[in-house]
Amino acid sequence: MASTQYGIKYAVHIITAHFGNLVAKVCETLLRRGPLTLRLLIRFTELSSSQINNSLLILIQHNCVQAFTAVTEGEFGDAPKADTQYLALFSNILHRMRFSKFLAIASEKLEKDKDCEELLEGLLQNGRLSMEQIIERAKSSKHAGNRPIPDVVNESLLKLLNAHFVERCPAPEPTLSPQVEEQPPPRKRGAKAAKVSEVPPTLEQRLVESARPMEVIRFSIGETNTEAEESEHYSSISGQKRKRGDLDMIQESGDADGIILWRANFDEFIRCLRHKACIEHVRSQFDDGAVNVLSAILEATRSSEKIVKTEITVPLSLENIYEEVMKNEVGRSMTLDRVEASLSALGCSGMEDYKINLQKIIEQAQIDEVESIVLKRYGRDAYRMFRFLSKTGGLVETEKISDSAFVDKNEAPKILYRLWKDEYLYMEKVAITVPRYSLCLLWRVDRYNLWEHVLDEMYHASLNLQLRQAYEMEQDKELLNLPPDKRGGPLEKRYNRLRNVRILLESSLLKLDDALMLFHDF
Amino acid sequence: MSRSQGPSSLKRKRPEPAHGHGGALIEHEKVLYDLICSKQSMGIWIGDMKRETKYPDNVVTKSLKALQARGLIKLVEHYQNKGKKFYLSKDFEPSKELTGGNWYSDGKLDREYISTLKGFCARMIQKMKVATIEGIVDAFKKSGASKVDLSREQIEEIVNALVLDNEVMEVKSTGAGEFDFIPVGKICYKSYAKGVKGEPKTGAMASTPCGVCPRINHCTPNGIISPRTCVYYTKWLEF
Repeated sequence: MASTQYGIKYAVHIITAHFGNLVAKVCETLLRRGPLTLRLLIRFTELSSSQINNSLLILIQHNCVQAFTAVTEGEFGDAPKADTQYLALFSNILHRMRFSKFLAIASEKLEKDKDCEELLEGLLQNGRLSMEQIIERAKSSKHAGNRPIPDVVNESLLKLLNAHFVERCPAPEPTLSPQVEEQPPPRKRGAKAAKVSEVPPTLEQRLVESARPMEVIRFSIGETNTEAEESEHYSSISGQKRKRGDLDMIQESGDADGIILWRANFDEFIRCLRHKACIEHVRSQFDDGAVNVLSAILEATRSSEKIVKTEITVPLSLENIYEEVMKNEVGRSMTLDRVEASLSALGCSGMEDYKINLQKIIEQAQIDEVESIVLKRYGRDAYRMFRFLSKTGGLVETEKISDSAFVDKNEAPKILYRLWKDEYLYMEKVAITVPRYSLCLLWRVDRYNLWEHVLDEMYHASLNLQLRQAYEMEQDKELLNLPPDKRGGPLEKRYNRLRNVRILLESSLLKLDDALMLFHDF
Repeated sequence: MSRSQGPSSLKRKRPEPAHGHGGALIEHEKVLYDLICSKQSMGIWIGDMKRETKYPDNVVTKSLKALQARGLIKLVEHYQNKGKKFYLSKDFEPSKELTGGNWYSDGKLDREYISTLKGFCARMIQKMKVATIEGIVDAFKKSGASKVDLSREQIEEIVNALVLDNEVMEVKSTGAGEFDFIPVGKICYKSYAKGVKGEPKTGAMASTPCGVCPRINHCTPNGIISPRTCVYYTKWLEF
């Protein structure tokens, strides 16, 4: 889904908070205008070229911008032109708010390995690091034990690479061929009829794909100096085998100076969070049995997942699933019958092998989120009508809606109108001439546009939570600087209030971010 | 469980002689009465009567008063337009177009009656674990809970409303496990696993002030409505 108006504002706010106004200005220009060359960036931002250079370096270092060479056909028989452009990576900017979640996942999966956690934390804080830099960091850390540090670091990195939590940095400047360039720009809004599944990959997706090292190299620690390996470094553009000639255009990979740079692999963390979201949704609908079975299936099919948004898990036999369920302590109490019943509750028909439609679970979770907004903001009558329309899918007239949803016919049009005005419903007027002229109103839930609207509201809400927090902290700045022993009486009360405010705002932001991922990343 | 007004019936009761209440109708009254009777359960609006008969206002008003006094006609308000009065022969029940339908009484949706029925159906589904619509209708009839006979369609409407309320789940039978004896693909109803759900869980967005804010479209970082000055936020952050 494209970044929306408030999505950009929220991303710019994050960059401003982390890197200051100058960097944010460059980033905002890129987010609003799409990929730009250095020359155009200077023109649009009216900053000096050194300021822009520095900003871009920071953004690239933190994986928020990707450079690429765009080749355009030369006009009037000129040779093809190649110039360097910069694209802001919207998703990666938002990931900056999720570092604590990423660290928690790694800690859980790697059984609280302190060295791994520290290494990963360093990568998240610094964006990209070379082996030498990682070792330098480890040396200055307090946790250094008796073993030689390079060994410890090597071992931790290997562990993180095996778990796919860390990867090699992408190529600094891959080439995008002119054919690819001709495709429609990615950030067009309001492509009404387009279904999500039919949307061609965005420029961002194509670019990330072409810059990514090949799977084998991506997670291997070994040095790759031989030329043969070099040529295989990066996967081909748009899925086609890259031609030899193109290789000349591609700058050296992440190890341009013979140094390999490492960074956190956001994809893997997002995949883990997606699994978590699926499990949480199933937990809210079914019993623990279904949760155990789903967790087991996700664990067993994990290795065959190639993309973040796996639609359907690979088929497993009942025996395989049962075996996997038994591996888990809570699952051991389950009988084969119960596993089968849970599978049927999860919507698996037990004909042959079992597979779970994850996309459907995610969609249901999205629907729940939207419906809960409708319920809270517009009331129970609106909730029933919205659910009715959502279930029906097509255009329905006012009278039919109020009849089916048991909403008083005097109230129904008013509520529907409010939902329409706030862009939660789509409305169409149809003139009827027989038996006499009258206007009939038809209503529908337009999921594609509604989801984008809700996502935009969520970005807006996230931004508001952050702004309010900054405001609250600013208000009571002196209070925060006061030493604990001077905080007596009323000051103590105010201090406690501020602490509670902070906890509430921060936890709400984390929860809201889960919902953001549900709509943007999963 | 009783219902003040039964389902609308289009059956016409035996007409009483028009002159049963003190003398024959005079001409105007007769014309108006016939007109009203001809509209059957749809009734007729006073404005339409004036237009069709071309009688002066005072004649129509006077005649209607006389007919009403004799108990030959009755007045029904349109459920959507309280001021718009319709006249019906007393032998007809007002139609769905006038009253709003089965579930309306006195021009309003009979919420209390509906919620009693809903509660009853929800409890039955919970007891039966997995229920088909036929099963619910049967159980309903056997229980004798309602003095008014509800049709299968009406019970289906109630159950569907429970689905829309998210109090029961609509599932397709797989023919196995708990769906034993139910043909594959048949629509069934069942309660949620952990007790009756009643209210869906509040989502992340709906738990923040912005999630329920009716003015979010007017809110900007430095505008008149802004997160810094927002009253909803201030209330939320009261500790």
